[in-house]
Amino acid sequence: MSITRMFRDWDKYRKASPSGDLEKDHPDYKWAMAIDLDICTGCNACVVACYAENNVPTVGKDRFEHGQTMHWLRIERYWNEADAETPHRGAQFMPMMCQQCAAAPCETVCPVGATNQTPDGLNSQVYNRCIGSRYCSANCPYKVRYFNWYDYPEQEVAWPEPLPMQLNPDLTVRSKGIMEKCTFCIQRLRAAQSTARTEGRLVRDGEVLPACAQSCPSGAIVFGNLADPYSQVAKLWRQQQVELHKDKQDKDKTGDNGGVRGYRILEELRAYPSVLYLERVRDTKA
Amino acid sequence: MNDIDRRKLLKLLGWSSASLAVAGCGNPPESGTGTAEAYSEPGDFNVPGVGVYYASTCTLCEAGCGIKGRVREGRILKLEGSPECAISKGRLCGLGQASVQHHYNPDRLKEPLLRVNGNLQPVTWDKALSLIAEKTKDAGDKFAFLTGPLSGHLKVLVQNYVEVLGSKNHFVYDLLANKANQLAAEKVYGISNPQVQIAKAKLILSFGADFLNCWESPVHFSAEYAQFRKANEGKARGVLIQAEPKMTLTGANADRWIAIKAGSEGVFALGLVNALLEDAHHAKNVPASVAEAVRKYDKARVDRETGVSEEVFGRVLAQLRERSPSLVLSGPSAEGHIHGAQNAAAIMLLNVVLGNVGKTITAPAKIPFPQMAPAAGDTSALIAFNQALSQGRLQTVFFHGANPVFTAPGFMKVRENLKKAAFKVAFAHYRDETAEEADLVLPLDSALEDWGTHVAAYQPDGVQIHMQQPLMERLYPQGTRSLGDVLLTLLKQRRPDEYNPFPDYYAYLKSAAIKNKAAFKDAAADDEEFWYQTLSHGVLNVAKPEPQRIALNPGALDLDLPKPAEEDLHYPLRLVPSVRANFRDGRHANLPWLQETPDPLTTIVWGSWLEIHPKTAGRWGIAEGDIVEVISKSGTIKAQAYLFPGLEPNTVAIPIGNGHEAMGRYAKDVGVNPLKILDPVFEKSTGELALHATRVKLRRTEDNRTVVKDEGWRPGVVNTQMNRKIVATLAADKIKLFPEE
Ligand code: SF4
Ligand code: SF4
Ligand code: SF4
Repeated sequence: MSITRMFRDWDKYRKASPSGDLEKDHPDYKWAMAIDLDICTGCNACVVACYAENNVPTVGKDRFEHGQTMHWLRIERYWNEADAETPHRGAQFMPMMCQQCAAAPCETVCPVGATNQTPDGLNSQVYNRCIGSRYCSANCPYKVRYFNWYDYPEQEVAWPEPLPMQLNPDLTVRSKGIMEKCTFCIQRLRAAQSTARTEGRLVRDGEVLPACAQSCPSGAIVFGNLADPYSQVAKLWRQQQVELHKDKQDKDKTGDNGGVRGYRILEELRAYPSVLYLERVRDTKA
Repeated sequence: MNDIDRRKLLKLLGWSSASLAVAGCGNPPESGTGTAEAYSEPGDFNVPGVGVYYASTCTLCEAGCGIKGRVREGRILKLEGSPECAISKGRLCGLGQASVQHHYNPDRLKEPLLRVNGNLQPVTWDKALSLIAEKTKDAGDKFAFLTGPLSGHLKVLVQNYVEVLGSKNHFVYDLLANKANQLAAEKVYGISNPQVQIAKAKLILSFGADFLNCWESPVHFSAEYAQFRKANEGKARGVLIQAEPKMTLTGANADRWIAIKAGSEGVFALGLVNALLEDAHHAKNVPASVAEAVRKYDKARVDRETGVSEEVFGRVLAQLRERSPSLVLSGPSAEGHIHGAQNAAAIMLLNVVLGNVGKTITAPAKIPFPQMAPAAGDTSALIAFNQALSQGRLQTVFFHGANPVFTAPGFMKVRENLKKAAFKVAFAHYRDETAEEADLVLPLDSALEDWGTHVAAYQPDGVQIHMQQPLMERLYPQGTRSLGDVLLTLLKQRRPDEYNPFPDYYAYLKSAAIKNKAAFKDAAADDEEFWYQTLSHGVLNVAKPEPQRIALNPGALDLDLPKPAEEDLHYPLRLVPSVRANFRDGRHANLPWLQETPDPLTTIVWGSWLEIHPKTAGRWGIAEGDIVEVISKSGTIKAQAYLFPGLEPNTVAIPIGNGHEAMGRYAKDVGVNPLKILDPVFEKSTGELALHATRVKLRRTEDNRTVVKDEGWRPGVVNTQMNRKIVATLAADKIKLFPEE
């Protein structure tokens, strides 16, 4: 196809995403999460599980100091400004990974199209297409993209022998110059989808979980298929009155959302993230 | 088989117990090679490109979570919780996840080492074992075995071995044991190990019990906590109040976090008891003598000694009155003082007064096999061991699962005292600090290569015995061995008649399980079938566990808490050696995932730090990143300052776990070890080390370095959300409740 033709027929190719019609956008699968911040304890089990599942290198103290950490999933910790002297209401924790935005700001700036939407609603990262421009990382509002400044397989700190025997053969080990990030454990999703396809059905709710959700001791992370209205995650999104394609939810328009806790982070940026958070709760009578 | 022989055999196999009817013998022990249920002989289960899950047990802490390991092409890749385990129920903590990094650790010991001319040099297993035979020949009480907490058949073999040598010296040492808690529970509830029903409580008041992170059973309690927090139209959201001098992860999740003065927890608790006994329905739960004894804990005294304001005291009291059943917990920061057990008992008395006993405090089933029951360990064991060493009473000592040279406080001089024992054997995975002092270092299989049985100390539901089985072939088949196998070999040297029937540890375990089949639920009639099921499920459920009984006797408690200790003007600050779930007592500091996974509260990685309250830091002229000398009467260490608001201002904290002088590339020379400067203070009724009773002063050096952490980079600036909606918080009375699912 010539560029001229592409521009002429642009309307045909350009897809408003998400369109508001989930069934049309994602007839079979739209992977999504719901994380309850009142149940997440900040324990970091999910973080270690992610290292274990996804061949994420450890970088060591010096590189960490230079901001070259690789953890795809991090637990952010904040303090309440008003209680800065004594945190009477504890700390504030939030697991933060790629939000798998439906209109991902990282995608539009990649000069080689190495990061795209997949039909099942993931923000993919095609390693062997990535040229390391790092524009995507600059444009990600959540700062969850991690760049391989070094060839970690060659670095003593990450995988000296025999640690490489632990590497998950279902995905690659990334080399120098490549951008990487949370994939919702795509290797697990693909395996489950392929099994389901062979059996002539769709993946059942709960049949596949990303490593973080599976590990989480308190079960704070709910994962599933938003395109399946009966999935637990779809129920939660509905119950929390958050719609994928809106940049301001109806319930938030009046200023009183009636105590429904669901929200997405920096929703107003119109990235349409696939991760729903449920507000942390504190009993102020205590 | 006559009765004496039969009883002897039961003892060999760990089942000796009064209450158990064991099926007669007749199952000759056999080496079960050729079976497919275990990874050691995977057979048809090994399909190229397909991961297969095998059941086993996590050994990284005493919680004993059941796990399933994913094995592919002969390699163990990843661990998940086992849904069949009543403890983990399919979940796993970060520490458990990192078990694979112990297995594949580049610094594992790969061959036996013997000290020759002062240096550790390779030696064969044969030579090593005959050396042991020689050195233990007439050992008697000159022999001691120092282990970490143990349960199951390894405990049976260790104890049988010590006994066979004619010694009584099996010391079970755990730095993080909660002996004071057990003693207090014994006094208050009549049982030392009550279950705490977190999910059933409407309010939890915890005095430093970090149940979400590194208390008795973190994975189990986290799941319970999720239930406790969930609210719907039929159930209110549980409220958590945490009082402690240094914020733990559990404290960070509290609705109300209270910075209480170190050691004053009991006073606060008895202040609450005093106020609650004004209510008739509470007063009827205890004899009048209790009301009399607690009268002196009036508001003025609570205010004076605990540093908690009257307003906050009033709020806690109101919550306790309003929310029933509640659950009151005592943790290490309340127990690590001279009067630790008394503090804990005062705290537990609240459960009696509030009528929580029987509702949120319940009795677990009795573990029917005393030989297998967990030996939780304590620090008195280390103290006794060290004393025997220093008096020259020990000649041959064995170590397993404990690294006293690293974990013992400096004042105990364990390293020096060890020199008085002529022959020291370390059964180890790494050249840790204790192995470096040993004369013989024997490399063990990793937990993922080994067999075993485990009985968790905290049993949430009935009694489960957990099976540990290899998830892959040995990485170093010529070098490492199972401690079970080694002990059997050593026992055979002494008692060939008794132990020769067991070709190896595997056969021993299999015989033991089959022999006592009748004791377990749903045991298949066929022995092989039963064994296959046991390994594939990873758990054995004891068929009819006997209940324990709670017996309250609050009238007998000594409620006369000591006056607060005098302030020491020269050492004005209290030191909390805090526990990180990642490292526990430091034995996991060599796992790179755990070094690089940030401490949840400070977000610091790869190192140690001194937590100091911003106000206190201001007073001492200390800024973030300053290298500070932390000086106690017992020693000095240098640590990097981190300004942390979650502290009672007279308290500073340094995490335990780092500061290794050995143990491989990921642990050595990373951070500092606060245990080295602990003061010799002991809990008075248990003799335990009082870990929270050290006083320190600070001296700023000219050195300042960047604190390497995950949070924002501007030092000293409180990490807030800058008014964006990142972590949103809602008041509990505003949440919309949905129907129960
Ligand atoms: S969170 Fe960042 S990396 Fe992930 S899809 Fe959105 S913009 Fe891209
Ligand atoms: S494992 Fe679960 S509870 Fe722990 S930090 Fe992650 S999301 Fe939160
Ligand atoms: S809580 Fe303990 S036993 Fe359970 S997974 Fe974690 S380390 Fe293992």
